[in-house]
Amino acid sequence: MAKTPMAVTFPKKTPAPVKTVTVSGPARDFSTQSYIPEVIRGVSVSMQHFFSNWKDMLRGERPDPVTQRLDRGITTISYPEQKRPYPERFRGLHRLTVRDNGDPRCVACLCCSTACPAQCIYIEAGEYPEGDPRRGHERFPVKFVIDELRCIFCGYCVEACPCDAIRMDTGVHPVPYDSRDQFIYKKDLLMSFADRSGDRRDHNPRHEAGDPTHPGLDREHKH
Amino acid sequence: MPTFTYDGHEIPFEQGESIIAAAARAGHEIPHYCWHPGLSAPANCRMCLVEILPKAGTRAVMLDIVELDQSTGKYCNIQKPKLQPACQMSAAEGIEVKGDSSEHVVEARKGVQEFLLLNHPVDCPICDQSGECKLQDYWLDHGQFQKRMRDEPVHKPKAVSFGPTIVYDAERCVMCTRCIRFMDEVAKDPVLEMRERGNLNEVMVAPGKQLEGHYTFMTEHVCPVGALTTKDFRFKARVWFLRSAKSVCQGCATGCNTHLDFDPRFNRAYRYRPRDNMAVNKYWMCDDGMLTYKRAQDGRIIEPRVEGGVTTLPKALATVAALLSGVPKESVAFVLSAQHSLEDNWVLRQIAMIQFGSNSFYFTAAPDGYADNILLHKDKNSNTRGVRDLVSDAKPLGSLQADIRAGRVKHVIALGGDTPNGAKDAAELQGAKIIVVAAHESALTQAASVVLPATSWAEQSGIYVNAKGMQQKAEKALEPQGESKPAWQHLADVARALGFEPSWSKLKHIRVSLEADTPSTANATDVAMPAAIARGV
Repeated sequence: MAKTPMAVTFPKKTPAPVKTVTVSGPARDFSTQSYIPEVIRGVSVSMQHFFSNWKDMLRGERPDPVTQRLDRGITTISYPEQKRPYPERFRGLHRLTVRDNGDPRCVACLCCSTACPAQCIYIEAGEYPEGDPRRGHERFPVKFVIDELRCIFCGYCVEACPCDAIRMDTGVHPVPYDSRDQFIYKKDLLMSFADRSGDRRDHNPRHEAGDPTHPGLDREHKH
Repeated sequence: MPTFTYDGHEIPFEQGESIIAAAARAGHEIPHYCWHPGLSAPANCRMCLVEILPKAGTRAVMLDIVELDQSTGKYCNIQKPKLQPACQMSAAEGIEVKGDSSEHVVEARKGVQEFLLLNHPVDCPICDQSGECKLQDYWLDHGQFQKRMRDEPVHKPKAVSFGPTIVYDAERCVMCTRCIRFMDEVAKDPVLEMRERGNLNEVMVAPGKQLEGHYTFMTEHVCPVGALTTKDFRFKARVWFLRSAKSVCQGCATGCNTHLDFDPRFNRAYRYRPRDNMAVNKYWMCDDGMLTYKRAQDGRIIEPRVEGGVTTLPKALATVAALLSGVPKESVAFVLSAQHSLEDNWVLRQIAMIQFGSNSFYFTAAPDGYADNILLHKDKNSNTRGVRDLVSDAKPLGSLQADIRAGRVKHVIALGGDTPNGAKDAAELQGAKIIVVAAHESALTQAASVVLPATSWAEQSGIYVNAKGMQQKAEKALEPQGESKPAWQHLADVARALGFEPSWSKLKHIRVSLEADTPSTANATDVAMPAAIARGV
């Protein structure tokens, strides 16, 4: 059974008369408009407080906030000169690891830029030149650019990398610069960073096709 | 239509059709590497094994095998049914086929997958197939095991150049022989063969030969793994960044259906893939066509030009209006293009007929080229038939040049496109003021007073009529580059600049009018399901 809406009527209230108060503003004479007497009055109030506080401190009636905290065991450090030790897995600035011969370990697979939620990695893949033993087997990044301003330091690129080519173990946290283009880190800069022990290589060495250490068991090598 | 059941689904089939083809047509993919709907079935990858239940009252063919009992650590004799390759087994009325629902099939697929990956280098990071690789897909679907072999895998030749277009990696190869069969059966150029056996098996080119000709890209296209890669696409892009648009090849009058793969981030086309259409190109495309994707970027006109100098669109249109105001209507000629879409040509024809009352139509077309009886057509234009449908008596460029020499034509409004003699044609056009709406540089744009930048086929939707008279629609893939706009919009602007308000402002208005106007069979597309599934498209 469908409900019929109740027919209710509410008596309309007559609105209360609006109470108005007339407020007079400051006088619009020259001394008010020029602000000068008001500024002098304001500064004089500040100076009164300054001198009275100083007087209190000299008398010993009011403690110095800095010395007070020093007595309690200070927890602040002088940041740029002093630095806290970062934890072992701190995600610092990226670095591109290098092979023993100084080439980038990166093979430009674009897994990192695919995983990157901030889309801050730009890579252009290239092939080794004619005559190089790696030609054809391997690719390398012609360009590898990280926009550190866009980067959110999530570490997904490190997780995604199948070659241990990108790491965030430099222990350096991103440096502030005064212009935006300085945050665009290119391949050579990224390859120049080392981990905290000063090693620029990756931690997962592999025998590459074309390396002299590669097992190379094939018919040509008398399998 | 007779039917059989596959995992409980009723699958209709035609007489003589294989189980895998019938199932694929009905939308059920049986995993496979070596089977391809356009090629013969060698049944050598063993991935499509299925269990066919015996007829009621008969015994199944059982195999005596020895299996390790994990709990006791002892081998024991058991029996398992003999599985059949679905690619070679013809479907028969009423048979009951089990795939995913059979534990033996599931085990067999996993085993086959493990064997195929035994010596695989797993160099997915540097492999171009990564992202569209059947080894990756089927490992996820039917494998999901860890590698058990602890020995160094067998190493085989990598990055072997098979010819000017194709590179071969024997370590990634699963020996499905699709490439070999393609060259034998479709390209009729049997230069590929296999050598050795077992884990030393590899594909090779016949000694003293190269993998070359007009259909080499298709060997890469049929390769289900990353063994064959094209030198053109190599290391250029990762496939998971690419999006595809359904396009039509602009290489010749065959009008092969294609997927145009492009990266929307860079607004750049990277490759073509054939789109299956049994009525046109079946599953294939030629090399020349596969490379025509480059015309989306190469030789483009992206800025308006007046007398060779770059200018803005309003200024170019003002120049057009100044050039054409007050000229006698019979001295204006109209040049259609066999390389522009039907819509562009129709708009030019409408302007000519309505605004100028003209019937003086010419057309430009690229010169004839190599033809064969597989796909390549000698007419190297995508829309010659479309121009013929619109204006059956359009005259070739030669007679325009003659008319200009004779002084009968003083002004030309043209759509761009290649001309029969290339750049040499420009000198013969000097006598007239030419306004050309073009996407690519050509003799016409060299000789032109005003050039308006049109979008290429990749940047606008358009209808192209192939040599068989089928209207085929190419979808828009890229965003227009620079100042370019679809040619029909430029032509409408030209008409407005001359004081004529066209009745069309959208592509759909033009298409409605076109339907009444052209005799070609509309949109004759017949997409073959099996191959669409075969390649996961």
